Amino acid sequence: MDDLCIIGAGSGGYVAAIRGAQHGLRVLLIEKDQLGGTCLNRGCIPTKCFIHDVKILTAAKRSPVMKGADRVSIDIDKMVLRKRQVVKTMVDGLAMIMKGHGVRVVQGQGELLAPGQVRVRTMDGRRSEESVKYVILATGAKPGTPPFLSVDGHFVQTTDEALDPKDLPAKLLIIGGGVIGLEMAAIYRLLGSEVTILELLSDIIYNEDAEIRKAMRMLMEQQGVKIHLEAKVKEVKIREEKVEIDYENQKGQVEKLQADRVLVATGRIPVLEGIDVQKLGLGMNEPFIKVNGKFETNLPGVYAIGDVVGGMMVAHKASAEAEAVLANILGQPKRIKPELIPRCIWGLAEVGSVGLTEEEAKAKGRRVKVGKFPYISSGAAQAMDDINGFVKIVGDSESGEILGLHIIGQHATDLIGEAVTLMTMEAAVEDLAEAIKPHPTLSETIMEAALDWSGILIHKLKK
Amino acid sequence: MATEVVLPALGLTVEKGKILEWYKKEGDPVQKGEPIFLVEADKVTTDVESPSSGVLSKILIPVGVEVPILTVVAIITEPGEKLAAKWMVEGPAFSTAETSAEPPVSPGERPRAKTGVPGDRGIVPAARRKAKEYGVDLSQISGTGPDGVILLKDVERVLAAESKISVVKASTLARKLCEKEEVPLKEILGTGIRGRIMQADVKAYLEGPTATAAGPPLGSTMPMSTIRRVIARRMSESAFNAPHIYFFSEVWLDPLLQFREEVLPVFDKHFNLRPSINDFLIKAVALNIADFPMLNAQLKGEEIHIMPEINIGLAVAMPEGLIVPAIPCADRAGLVEIIRHRADLVARAKEGKLTLQEIERGTFTISSLAQYDITHFTAILNPPQSGILSVGKTDEKLVLVEGQVRVKRITRVGLSVDHRIIDGTTAADFLQHLKWKLEHPAFTFMSL
Repeated sequence: MDDLCIIGAGSGGYVAAIRGAQHGLRVLLIEKDQLGGTCLNRGCIPTKCFIHDVKILTAAKRSPVMKGADRVSIDIDKMVLRKRQVVKTMVDGLAMIMKGHGVRVVQGQGELLAPGQVRVRTMDGRRSEESVKYVILATGAKPGTPPFLSVDGHFVQTTDEALDPKDLPAKLLIIGGGVIGLEMAAIYRLLGSEVTILELLSDIIYNEDAEIRKAMRMLMEQQGVKIHLEAKVKEVKIREEKVEIDYENQKGQVEKLQADRVLVATGRIPVLEGIDVQKLGLGMNEPFIKVNGKFETNLPGVYAIGDVVGGMMVAHKASAEAEAVLANILGQPKRIKPELIPRCIWGLAEVGSVGLTEEEAKAKGRRVKVGKFPYISSGAAQAMDDINGFVKIVGDSESGEILGLHIIGQHATDLIGEAVTLMTMEAAVEDLAEAIKPHPTLSETIMEAALDWSGILIHKLKK
Repeated sequence: MATEVVLPALGLTVEKGKILEWYKKEGDPVQKGEPIFLVEADKVTTDVESPSSGVLSKILIPVGVEVPILTVVAIITEPGEKLAAKWMVEGPAFSTAETSAEPPVSPGERPRAKTGVPGDRGIVPAARRKAKEYGVDLSQISGTGPDGVILLKDVERVLAAESKISVVKASTLARKLCEKEEVPLKEILGTGIRGRIMQADVKAYLEGPTATAAGPPLGSTMPMSTIRRVIARRMSESAFNAPHIYFFSEVWLDPLLQFREEVLPVFDKHFNLRPSINDFLIKAVALNIADFPMLNAQLKGEEIHIMPEINIGLAVAMPEGLIVPAIPCADRAGLVEIIRHRADLVARAKEGKLTLQEIERGTFTISSLAQYDITHFTAILNPPQSGILSVGKTDEKLVLVEGQVRVKRITRVGLSVDHRIIDGTTAADFLQHLKWKLEHPAFTFMSL
């Protein structure tokens, strides 16, 4: 009998498996597809491969010093191949790690029959049942599509297909202006497609700070991405090898758009295959599995983590929850502070943010003071020839608590890590300014924003 | 001749004290017996009187610094007398009265700054501040700076060796919160990585009881609080030194409950007071002690001292630990006085505002768990007292009275005594008479 069975080997599941094994538990890891889940196979890693490639292309094309850059282009097949190789390297690496830790990995569809009772159906149709002490449901999420849309994989795609492109659509229409929509827009726009985004809400990346949203919108529009806000998609038809979209605009008028391809990025829904919610009597927080702060479901010995429990659907949240759930199973209570989970966007500009936006902090009644520093004043950004961006610190004016930190611009997703570390250690804004930063790097921008917060900025004209 | 003012032994329970206020300034004239400073120790505060008349020429321990008892805190000189050179120092040249035979500062050994100005003892200001903050005896430190000047790191080295600092690791936000709320960081238990004190720890500390109600997490280790240390020491001292014997008796409580019901409206109307069963208990016990003075005895060396006043202590449970304020001369006090006293003491106990005298004066203790579903329990004597009464819950019991089944409300009381000075028959007599007093309230409480 195994001690711990984990259904789903994504960023939540595999981390839980390794941690469990490290603590001497006998671990069974069930995965119906590939180790690494969405992040590794159909999400973060593929996207970042493409973003890297298209950024090189863009940098070359825009370079004022390079010769012949106008003739540079990307070989889509090679781009996809490189991505596959990266993914394969990572998946193989994970398999080795699992083996090294003695985790029993079974490929097949995992089913929760009852608390402590799990069934695996392997691809060849064989079934086996396992008794375990604890079960962790880490089944993840998949692209959700509005009811009026049917994904055919060619004219209408989700990220599952769009990250394995065979060709480039001349005109791409993206439904959804969230993180996924923005990242796909960046990839396809920089590859040369004409990109239009239809967003239902009044702004793109709605949970980001207003100033970040505005900067992002401006940058995207500058680079030729069309954005329609408060746009309700009514109908999607395929006619003569083209997709025709009817949508209702801000004024309630129906408008028509035509594209070669539609990418649906309207959010992700939990994967509940193999989990008969009603039969099990599993408590739900519709459409997600309901868990408490210890990631316990209402069923004894059954836990759930990652996308399937909702919240921010990002790999690092799932991994952090995996750590926490194991700590709780092992009797060392550990909780996650959702406010300290960073958010990253690899769009036409990178966004890295953590904590409260200025608006949220004010709505919470905090005494807010803001510090900012623009990339244009950074020597490093100037040297990199990319001055689009800024750092914004939202701090409690009295205690100096860093309530939120928002960065847009080059390497924002790397830079935000520092803020997360310091916020986790409960540093004050002044601490951000206290550390000596290497020059010339973008890391100085956070320090400068902190100095601005304290009113003692160096590299900016006096207000 | 100069007099050293020491932090007095504030009673058996007290190991350290903190001066909250100096009523006099340096140079002020003082009269013997006049309060000169206010000291806080173990959650109580008390005035300390001047040991002699003269001039308060030097205050050695400033407000807010915790020092061991018997530390010399000030010097009183006769008018015109010059202050001895050894006291001409800045900061806390701590010395306890026990060791004051040796001057705490021996100038010959002391590394001096080149200037040699009196008072400048070759210490960098940061080191001086730190030493003052933590009460470090500077004479014990050898400086590692140029010419033996004491540096900050020298003081920190001593503190680290005494594990007074460096264990205090805290996040910036936790530090700021401590400063804002004026909470000493040292007292907070850190739950962060490697024991780092986080904001949540400070908040938990500030919330106090609510945090402790949940209880500490399993597998955690925490330092004893001062009050807990005192309780631990005193309880083991009592348990191991005083051979306890225990006696139990069942008290028929209906007459007293009925008596209380009858007098309640009178108390309410005339005094706006509500007597509790405890108030009657205090009075009855005090009256019974008057009949059995041995229960008011304290063993001191080879002598048995029968204490002149019958002061009844009432154990009050607080999150940090037990505290036992006493109602003075309860045998002579009227019920009204007892009620007022009891209500006031319990309220102030919960606010931590008792005076030392109020918790030290007890000669006998009552400990009641009547609100719990506890039938009876044994209590450990509150030293140096030799008797303690434990009170359990009140139960309804079926009894035969003249062949008839009747319901009686019964409380079990227990008496623990120090067998070194009280024998079983005395204790049994005492308890039996107490039982009679409680069962015949009209006789017992005749004179209100």
